[in-house]
Amino acid sequence: MAARNALLKYLRVNVHPLQSSIQNPKGFVGGPFSHFLRRRNFSEEVRGSFLDKSEVTDRVISVVKNFQKVEPSKVTPDAHFQNDLGLDSLDTVEIVMALEEEFGFEIPDNEADKINSINLAVDFIASHPQAK
Amino acid sequence: MAASPSRGEVLSLFRSFLRTARGFSDYNVREYTKRRAIDAFRHNKDLSEPSQVSAAFADGKSQLEIAKRQAIVYSLYAPEIKSVMELKH
Repeated sequence: MAARNALLKYLRVNVHPLQSSIQNPKGFVGGPFSHFLRRRNFSEEVRGSFLDKSEVTDRVISVVKNFQKVEPSKVTPDAHFQNDLGLDSLDTVEIVMALEEEFGFEIPDNEADKINSINLAVDFIASHPQAK
Repeated sequence: MAASPSRGEVLSLFRSFLRTARGFSDYNVREYTKRRAIDAFRHNKDLSEPSQVSAAFADGKSQLEIAKRQAIVYSLYAPEIKSVMELKH
């Protein structure tokens, strides 16, 4: 018990008043309000923003065209990976991974399994806030 | 022996390999791991005998563990300069 108290005393974090509120006593902007603003920015960053659908389409198409086994002339916005481009399920996994790298976010397995055409890929990425 | 893995499990293993490959800091090892995984899955894609499929799947799982471990070990000895292949044009 004594040891526990000593430990707790050691771990206690001292609370210091905010420096800015002392230097700027009447400051509305420097006070709690700025804290609120900062937090807002942070949440904005985490939340991300949605990409424009036509931009997503262009980037998805260029990723697919760059895939070795694909005939670039066959790639259209409506192409189905397996039916139109002649790819198999392994190729589809590779393409989805390439899309993850292009847009800088991770697509969970259960979503990745559903993506089997350019349309579906575009819809998913455009509706995903973390895509960039 | 375990029941042979479903299609989804195999694809998930493949995806795990590609994700693990990304974790290597050295360009050559990263590309090799990716290439090796793609080649191995392609090599075994026509297996139909359940026992062979299970054996290949079990082998893949143990290889994945090795790759994951090595990605960590290699990160401790990351190359100081990037490969010329990684430079953006």
